[in-house]
Amino acid sequence: MGTTKKKQKKVLAPVSRREFIKLTGTAAIGAGIGDFFAKIIWVDDAIAALPASEGYLLVDTKKCQGCLSCMLACSLVHHGRIGPSLARIQILQNSFEKFPDDLTMAQCRQCVDPECVKVCPVGALHIDGRNGNVRRVDSTKCIGCKACTQACPYSPGRALWNSEERHAEKCDLCADSPFWGQKGGPGGKQACVEVCALGALKFTKTIPEQRGEGGYNVNLRGSGWKKLGFPTD
Amino acid sequence: MSGYARKILRVNLTSRNTSTIDTKDYEEWGGGHGIGSALFWDLVPDKAITGFDPRNIVTIMTSPLSGTLVPGASSRTEVQGIGAHSSPIEWFTRSNFGGRFGAMLKYAGWDGIVLEGRATNPVWIDIRNGDVEIRDARRLWGLDAWRTQETIWREMSEGGYKSWVNVKDTDDEKRTTQRPAILTIGPAGENLSRMGCLIHDAGNASGQGGFGGIWGSKNLKAISVVGTGGVRIADPKGLIEARLWAKQKYGLDIENPDPSWWSRFGYRRPQNRFWDQQENARLNACIGCNTGCKERAASGLGNESICDESAFYAGYDKAKHGGKQTSAAYMATDLLQKYGINAYEASQGLVYIRALVRMGVLGRGKAIDCNLDFRKIGEFEFAEELLTLIAYRRGIGNDFAEGFYRAAKRWGRLETDLKSGVLPYPYWGLPEHGYDPRAEVEWGYGSILGDRDINEHDFNSLFWYPSGAIWAGRTPQPSAEMVVKIYAEKLVPYENNPLMLDFSDENIYSEHMAKLVVWHRHYTRFWKQSALFCDQRWPDFLNTKAPSYQGLTGEGEPRFYNAVTGKGLTFRDGMERGRKIWNLDNAIWSLQGRHRDMVHFADYIYDVPFGGIGKYAWYFLPGREKGAWKYIQVNGRRLDRAKFEEFKTRFYQLEGWDTRTGWPTKKTLEGLGLSAVAQELEKQKRIGI
Repeated sequence: MGTTKKKQKKVLAPVSRREFIKLTGTAAIGAGIGDFFAKIIWVDDAIAALPASEGYLLVDTKKCQGCLSCMLACSLVHHGRIGPSLARIQILQNSFEKFPDDLTMAQCRQCVDPECVKVCPVGALHIDGRNGNVRRVDSTKCIGCKACTQACPYSPGRALWNSEERHAEKCDLCADSPFWGQKGGPGGKQACVEVCALGALKFTKTIPEQRGEGGYNVNLRGSGWKKLGFPTD
Repeated sequence: MSGYARKILRVNLTSRNTSTIDTKDYEEWGGGHGIGSALFWDLVPDKAITGFDPRNIVTIMTSPLSGTLVPGASSRTEVQGIGAHSSPIEWFTRSNFGGRFGAMLKYAGWDGIVLEGRATNPVWIDIRNGDVEIRDARRLWGLDAWRTQETIWREMSEGGYKSWVNVKDTDDEKRTTQRPAILTIGPAGENLSRMGCLIHDAGNASGQGGFGGIWGSKNLKAISVVGTGGVRIADPKGLIEARLWAKQKYGLDIENPDPSWWSRFGYRRPQNRFWDQQENARLNACIGCNTGCKERAASGLGNESICDESAFYAGYDKAKHGGKQTSAAYMATDLLQKYGINAYEASQGLVYIRALVRMGVLGRGKAIDCNLDFRKIGEFEFAEELLTLIAYRRGIGNDFAEGFYRAAKRWGRLETDLKSGVLPYPYWGLPEHGYDPRAEVEWGYGSILGDRDINEHDFNSLFWYPSGAIWAGRTPQPSAEMVVKIYAEKLVPYENNPLMLDFSDENIYSEHMAKLVVWHRHYTRFWKQSALFCDQRWPDFLNTKAPSYQGLTGEGEPRFYNAVTGKGLTFRDGMERGRKIWNLDNAIWSLQGRHRDMVHFADYIYDVPFGGIGKYAWYFLPGREKGAWKYIQVNGRRLDRAKFEEFKTRFYQLEGWDTRTGWPTKKTLEGLGLSAVAQELEKQKRIGI
């Protein structure tokens, strides 16, 4: 992420960074969905005008208890089976490591400038306008080239390969969760958020800061957490 | 067969062959303990062998719920076989651990593992999905339990675990971000200690039974498993809805922690630890659990250790350092985990040898010569010295490693010290758990009528809840009468009999109390040890978040079980299945040589009144006093030998067992569909009449 975009699909309104700051009065990248700036996202020296997702997952890696329930719920509602390798959110941990470096939460960022979408040669990984612009895989179109799994700039890659059904898949914010009786997607509920016992995951409609981890890895530890005797800073 | 992986791995360490067993052949037992007992029955013709005999097997079983989203049931793994710890007979026994090993086994496509025979050289078992390899472990032998796991992790992924990792070098299709789940022994197990554990990750241990020593005797260092598959769920929507129902109605509200302490499913302080909380830490949960009871800290010390491991050294540490705990407590516990030593045995053993020091019996140049410098107790140096003696059988550690009951026997002190209670080992040569049989009788009865310290906290909250309130100067709420009513309603098939929960002197030998023990044996055998609902979270009788305090037990267990399996099992069905498993276990014990005459506590339980140490000197349980329900103090009580014998007769009658011998009867076994078991007992002249 953060590199000059050579093949942007659409540019609605080229705006320089200075102009952007002037318009908004702030250098913050995130903007509320539904307002003017939702469609204008500054990416380094250019403005990309791809339709932004209307929903994002935020995590608090210091609050997570490593139970992997989010992963198990993800695979359950999408596949009717439960297995970590089928989950579109990944929690990585090491029993012997020191807090907070013992655990990483790897959720899809629904990037405003999604490399996975751009590299898909057949449009299987697409921006779903009917589901709040969430970036998702149409498994019927996927040809199994795995380009998306390699293009994701984050590690572990957020687009994963389903080796049993032989197609790529990624977080769709539960837009297509056939094994759950709830409406998902940016306008509905997300199984990982709902199942987390500690509230270490949160759904937001506000576009997070795109550069670095800070926009997506946030502090969700409130007064209740303090009562339990754990750090809230 | 939703919930099951459909096959069990059978490993013959002698021939180094592997094969599979069709899980369907054992599905009627549910999972976990039930399947483990049935496998043991079928695969070990001579049940009267000892734990270290290569003909002994060890089963490592999951349940249909393992690896799923069922809270407090996804992670547990049941270990069984003839143990090495109990006395006078090394009973067919069980242990159980959490973490993620069982779940990973399911993702790899296995419901369990049967270990047979003995390898000629140290080996470890490498399971990657369906591929199983028995590998040379000579370079792992000698490593502690943590180093062993880290070494295998490095070998499995040289690049670490920051990204997707191929499960096999030649296969780029099957990938995971998860480290292999490893179950291993440390030096204690390698050196055949009867207090040797199996260790998984930092702080999950299969502690009781001495299975670490048994693995050592089989030359088995570790099992590593990594899987990329999934567990089939019969009713996915039903499962996610059940999980969210339990969370919303009964679970911990993290933003508004419950002010009371003893709602098991949703209580306020999820960490079950007895040392000082480290300031900079996170909660840590086993896979799929709703609430973590463990922690990982910025110090990296004490990671994932809870319960008695965390109590092992904290008191000594504080006493040594003016009431302030240092890092010694965490480091001593970490060493228990690394060496793979049973924390209960180490804790009570330390209590025992300190008493012998005070008596002038043990020490440098004493009758029991011991070079440990007890002036340093509380410093890490002392703990390190003690645990190293045990793990490597150095000097007097060769006695300690046998367990302190056997050590006392070697020293010629067993009878004397059991009579006085200096050796706090009330049942089967095993250490007391903290919940003394003279006080919390259901714990003691369950242990002596079975094979081990039950370590089942089902009714333990009846002690903690009122006692904790009284210690804090509060009046316990809700009242004893209300609490007993809530519990009694859920004791199906003996529901609505509050007298089962009367811990007064007048009631503890009654048929009512015998029914409580029967209920407890059957509930735990199926729901907790076969379906593998975790002891930390289940049953949920009284829940401080729920309306009228009524927890989810009774409704929760079958709702989750059926969502996963689609079996349509009722709670009562599960209790009956537990009865069947309990009967099979008793049949095995009968063939091992059990007779009712040997079913008795150590002398001190009958001869010395229960005082209770520290806060336990104010030990309260519900009971009736002049017909009124109260929280009554049970300190000062000792059990009556003759009345306990009468109690045993009532218990055997309720189970349909022979009251003269305690053996299962033909009628009872046949009624449970265990005719073949009855025939074998008949053949060996161990059938009850």
